[in-house]
Amino acid sequence: MSEKKYSLAKIGSRIDAFLKPLLKRARFQVKYEMSEGETAHPDFENPDITVKFTGADVDLLLANRAELLLALEQLTMESLRMPSDDHARISFDANDYRALRIEELRMSAAAAAEKVKRTGVPFSFNPMNSRERRVIHLALRSEPAVRSESSGTAGFRKVVIYPAGMPSPATPPEPPAPPRPSRGRSRSARR
Amino acid sequence: MKQLVEDIAKALVDIPEEVAVREVEGEQVTVLELRVAPSDLGKVIGKQGRTARSIRTILGAAGMKLNRRFTLEILE
Repeated sequence: MSEKKYSLAKIGSRIDAFLKPLLKRARFQVKYEMSEGETAHPDFENPDITVKFTGADVDLLLANRAELLLALEQLTMESLRMPSDDHARISFDANDYRALRIEELRMSAAAAAEKVKRTGVPFSFNPMNSRERRVIHLALRSEPAVRSESSGTAGFRKVVIYPAGMPSPATPPEPPAPPRPSRGRSRSARR
Repeated sequence: MKQLVEDIAKALVDIPEEVAVREVEGEQVTVLELRVAPSDLGKVIGKQGRTARSIRTILGAAGMKLNRRFTLEILE
């Protein structure tokens, strides 16, 4: 990612203004600290601002693949009116979840690439959000024998790994076709 | 919990004065009905419903602490 766009001086107090009362009202027993430009995996993530949570309810934040942590992150960014292109610039974290998840994704990517090389059959991951798909794509840059592509419609987009020479399927899998006008069909069935 | 949803919604919309939340208590579940200005509907729903899902996640976790289920209805 390019140079910094967000700084604590500029938006730190706005993050506080949204987050502090929210955590209190929801009775989440956590504290957080904000810092600039911290990352354990500079090749994969370079947030301008990191917000790290600690406290008794950190497990609640991290349950279901950090569902609550990511919900807080998303709403905070929406409250700051950040365009979605900028959403990798702020990273909410707790117990090094982000770094561990990147490790996990890298290992999955490597294992899947091995499998595709061995079998010559494309491999399809489960649906992931854009940040996680990006990690998979980046992890495979050093694998010239395979290539990766995101496919599927919004919300269900997933990464597919192909052998380097194999073209993508001609038509990407379509969402279920719109229901056919049943009235017309039954009429024609009756003739 | 009403106040929680109201605070979040007000931070997301352009016209906070038009945010209103009504709490409807059922036996098992409390329904929170959120109303916003028509032009702000997209702000509380988000792309593919992502923002609404995030609000529901927070509501669910906060409700767990109170041993009560809360659901969010966004009214048009």
